[in-house]
Amino acid sequence: MNPDYILELTNITKEFPGVKALDNIQLKVRKGTVHALMGENGAGKSTLMKIIFGIYTPDRGTIKYKGEEVKLSGSKDALRLGISMIHQELTPVPEMTVAENLFLGREPTKSFGWIRKKKMVEDARKLFDSLKIDIDPNARMADLSIANMQMVEIAAAVSRNADLIIMDEPTSAITEREVERLFGMIASLKAKGVTIIYISHKMDEIFRICDEITVFRDGQFVGSKPAGELNPESLIQMMVGREIKQVFHKDEAPIGEVLLSVKNLTRKGKFRKVSFEVRSGEILGIAGLMGSGRTEVVESLFGIVPPDEGEIFVKNERAHIRSPQDAIRYKMGLLTEDRKATGAFLPLSVKDNMIVSSIDGYLNRAGLLKGRLVNDMCGAFVERLNIKTPSLNQQIGRLSGGNQQKVLLARWLLSNPDVLILDEPTRGIDVGAKAEIHKLMSRLAKTGKAIVMVSSELPEILGMSDRIVVMHEGEKKGELTRAEASQEKIMELVYR
Amino acid sequence: MNESTVVTEQKLGGRSGPFTLASLLSRYGMLLVLIALMILMSLLTPTFLTADNLLNIVRQMSVVGIVAIGVTFVIITTGIDLSSGSVIALVSVVVATLAHPGEYPLVLTILAGLGIGVLTGLINGTIIAKGKIAPFIVTLGMMTAARGAALLYTGGRPIGNLSDSFRFIGQGSLLGIPVPILIFLFVGVVSYLLLNKTKFGKYIYAIGGNEQAARIAGINVDKYKIMLYAYAGLLSSVAGIILTSRIASGQPTAGTMYELDAIAAAVIGGTSLAGGIGTIGGTIIGALIIGVMNNGLDLLNVSSYWQQILKGAIITTAVLIDSRKNRRK
Amino acid sequence: MKKTMFSALLASLICLALVVAGCASKGGNAESQAPAQASGSESGGGQIHIGAALPDFSDKWLSYLQEGMEKYQKTQDGVNVTYVDAQNDASKQLAQIETFISQKVDAIVMVPVDTVSAVDIVDRANKANIPIVVVNRWFEGVDKAASYVGSESITAGVMQMEEVAKLLGGKGNIAIMTGQLGQEAQIKRTEGNKQVIGKYPDMSIVLEGTASWDRAKGMALMENWLNSGKKIDAVVSNNDEMAIGAIMAAEAANKADGMIFAGVDATPDALEYVKSGKLQVTVFQNADGQGKSGLETAIKAARGEQVEKNVYVPYELVTKDNVDEYVKKWE
Repeated sequence: MNPDYILELTNITKEFPGVKALDNIQLKVRKGTVHALMGENGAGKSTLMKIIFGIYTPDRGTIKYKGEEVKLSGSKDALRLGISMIHQELTPVPEMTVAENLFLGREPTKSFGWIRKKKMVEDARKLFDSLKIDIDPNARMADLSIANMQMVEIAAAVSRNADLIIMDEPTSAITEREVERLFGMIASLKAKGVTIIYISHKMDEIFRICDEITVFRDGQFVGSKPAGELNPESLIQMMVGREIKQVFHKDEAPIGEVLLSVKNLTRKGKFRKVSFEVRSGEILGIAGLMGSGRTEVVESLFGIVPPDEGEIFVKNERAHIRSPQDAIRYKMGLLTEDRKATGAFLPLSVKDNMIVSSIDGYLNRAGLLKGRLVNDMCGAFVERLNIKTPSLNQQIGRLSGGNQQKVLLARWLLSNPDVLILDEPTRGIDVGAKAEIHKLMSRLAKTGKAIVMVSSELPEILGMSDRIVVMHEGEKKGELTRAEASQEKIMELVYR
Repeated sequence: MNESTVVTEQKLGGRSGPFTLASLLSRYGMLLVLIALMILMSLLTPTFLTADNLLNIVRQMSVVGIVAIGVTFVIITTGIDLSSGSVIALVSVVVATLAHPGEYPLVLTILAGLGIGVLTGLINGTIIAKGKIAPFIVTLGMMTAARGAALLYTGGRPIGNLSDSFRFIGQGSLLGIPVPILIFLFVGVVSYLLLNKTKFGKYIYAIGGNEQAARIAGINVDKYKIMLYAYAGLLSSVAGIILTSRIASGQPTAGTMYELDAIAAAVIGGTSLAGGIGTIGGTIIGALIIGVMNNGLDLLNVSSYWQQILKGAIITTAVLIDSRKNRRK
Repeated sequence: MKKTMFSALLASLICLALVVAGCASKGGNAESQAPAQASGSESGGGQIHIGAALPDFSDKWLSYLQEGMEKYQKTQDGVNVTYVDAQNDASKQLAQIETFISQKVDAIVMVPVDTVSAVDIVDRANKANIPIVVVNRWFEGVDKAASYVGSESITAGVMQMEEVAKLLGGKGNIAIMTGQLGQEAQIKRTEGNKQVIGKYPDMSIVLEGTASWDRAKGMALMENWLNSGKKIDAVVSNNDEMAIGAIMAAEAANKADGMIFAGVDATPDALEYVKSGKLQVTVFQNADGQGKSGLETAIKAARGEQVEKNVYVPYELVTKDNVDEYVKKWE
């Protein structure tokens, strides 16, 4: 019963049908610190967070909060005790105003339950002022950026007098400037004595703001150490249990003919006059902040939202791409940025997710699928991409993010494209899978494919690309070769 | 992991390892419910478990069952088809006028009936896909319009005097098995193959699983949606032809509320209204559960009021189980 | 999220339906309004204007009722009748009656769409001091109307059952097939059946179930009954369609011989079955007579004369002996 600790979890075990999600987990969090939880996806972080927040009850083990043993049966209990959670996928009510969201479920009321709207807005404004947040309480939640929604959530936690705030990958969808703002907020919360549990995959963030780091692997506790005693390499080693020497696997590949070139591509309000080309064997990185138009360019390239102006050439031939079907006909493939929203068919099996873009190849003359062939093809890709799935018939939704991503990659590889566009190919997936995907990209380039990679992570851009296109506010700001590129040079182009 | 390990693990049921009660229930739940219901009924009344009565149940459910199979396709894509009952009526009255003895060849009569089903389905599908209007609204419109057309066509009166060859479809037997059951079986097998072994079926699941992802994966979503509703319309017209032949009369009021029984059968059979999930086998089991309930309660002479309450309860329970299953994802 | 969308859709759909229904009925009334007003201004106070609200113009039986009214109207001088069709929509009928009230018609004849909302409609007419005559469909609270003209549903049940009892020699097992649960005709006809059965100690009800007026459902119900192992001597059905379904099921199972079937309505199809001896009993509800009496009573009420609270138009029993006379009526 150490008064230094705000939260002590002992021997927590949680099983789901067929899976031991957490096995005898220990976690001690010191009051007033920022405590990082690290581990590959599927290590059990999210399950543990849901236990702390009362959404799951553990099968075994004890939870002590402020020195006393507690039993949480729902998030209401957690909120009452002063535990708040900023979710990975934010869940505000988009059609309501900021103030309404802020006080959802505890609105100031007059008699008969009339909501005192004016007071609510005033309270919200006061709260924002005290936290130095610049958001209009009357704005519609749906109109806010993700970063601002996050700020509202944090403000809500503060207004509940939360002593412990859980942040689950808060920087996964916000821009770098917004990250700075978030870190400022974390620092001031910490100064007020609030404890923060911080989950992230991003090394640099962890080392910047965290005091202590706890690592999980495959549902088991690996260890806790003060951040000062670790460095990125030793931390990665703890997480994966093996030494990863080279984070970016990049092979030299022979650069061949131009497979895709884009001239003066324009979509009104999104991007203007963007031109580039990519050759066989080449990986072209597209760098830029969020909202720079990167994703929109590749969407137009692939026919999801056709461009208003400009020309696309595939193998020097003018290509008219008005729909993804057209793009696929020109032997292109696109791994989208948002796996859940636009990539995976969550209720369907791994197999069905894989074959959907190349199905014509497995039909017999009667139009029926050749079951053996499908199994063989998919099985081969499961092996080749090291996809961890109990069977080809497993629902893809039950796999970890990294494995889902590999299944979607397999989908495009099965369609055998010449040009593969990868939008944030490693976002939100664990270190091991990330390295595997990078390796695969190198291998694909070697076989003569052209790869266009959009990424928010500069190290990934620098590590993987042969050439880098830098975008900002809908315009191409410049192009760098692998040899001349550096983090500073890219930033220079962005802010020039 | 190599190919052979994938296959062996598949046989073992994957990571979930040995069959737990929970996984068994979620997979075969409704089949178990059907078996339990049948055991219960045969304990309660000795006349339930006879070959005659069992054939009778399947024959009775074949009309709704066929509609339900079409509806299953639709619900898998997160759509809905409320027009099936009215399409049955429209097909019924048109087919009946063509089926008077000695007027038109039987083949032509049947083709005309199927044509009407496909046409209504094409209209539904085109408006839904191209007009981007919710299937609920579009098929509700078709439900009203088709019923109106059937009433207009007949002036509200039933049409009788149907040829013997036409009556054979609903009333005849081949090798001791009633023809409606044979048609039901045929539709079931064809639909199973269509849904599980063809591009059409895989695309249907993909569209239901994630429509936007389906577009990006290169599926012509509009085209497949139109085909899908046309298929559902086709099956409604098959059901309409059987029904008309069975009652030897073309009736503008035929098939009233059949769309709801069909949706219930699909949902009881595990088709998820959230899309991407559903099987033909499940839907047939769902239809049989409704059939066994109807038949058993009639045999037991249970009051019609209680019959409705019991039916409502089982449908709600099925949806409850379904939503639990989805929440676990 | 999708479910919320669905319920939102449903809600908006209902609103839309109400609006459309409202517009449609307004449109319909506007058309029927014009001739009524024209005739009113032509002949001044002497003219009697009567609003006739019918549930469904496409219903064959109701069209005979309307014909009965029209025929009688021709024999009367200075009587003007506006006919409106509610298309089986209770809210539309309410709107139509409201229009009649605002037009200040002299009397209203109504065949209610729905026997629940009818109470409220009668109230409104009463408040406006316009006599309202309810025809054909009886409901709880019909005594508030100026008059009820119709045939007593219970009588149909009694007549039908008495004939069956006669054919069975006063003993046997009866199966009762009822219409849509909760409707007046279903309740009363069944009650009439039971009253008669109660008088014969050797007759008993062995089975009872609903087939919602529908032939296919009647057929399915009969198939189940035939498999129940119970001995059935007679199937007494609330309407003809269900009785025909039952006959077809029994024939298919080769069990129709010696079984008595009885229906109500005397539809053309049913009359065929009566003619061929498969359906032994049906009951004819005199549409023409109800229409005539309905309008007659309304005209009296409009002139301020005393009217009977209940005007009963008798049912007629149809058997093989008199079937031809009814076949003619439908031709």
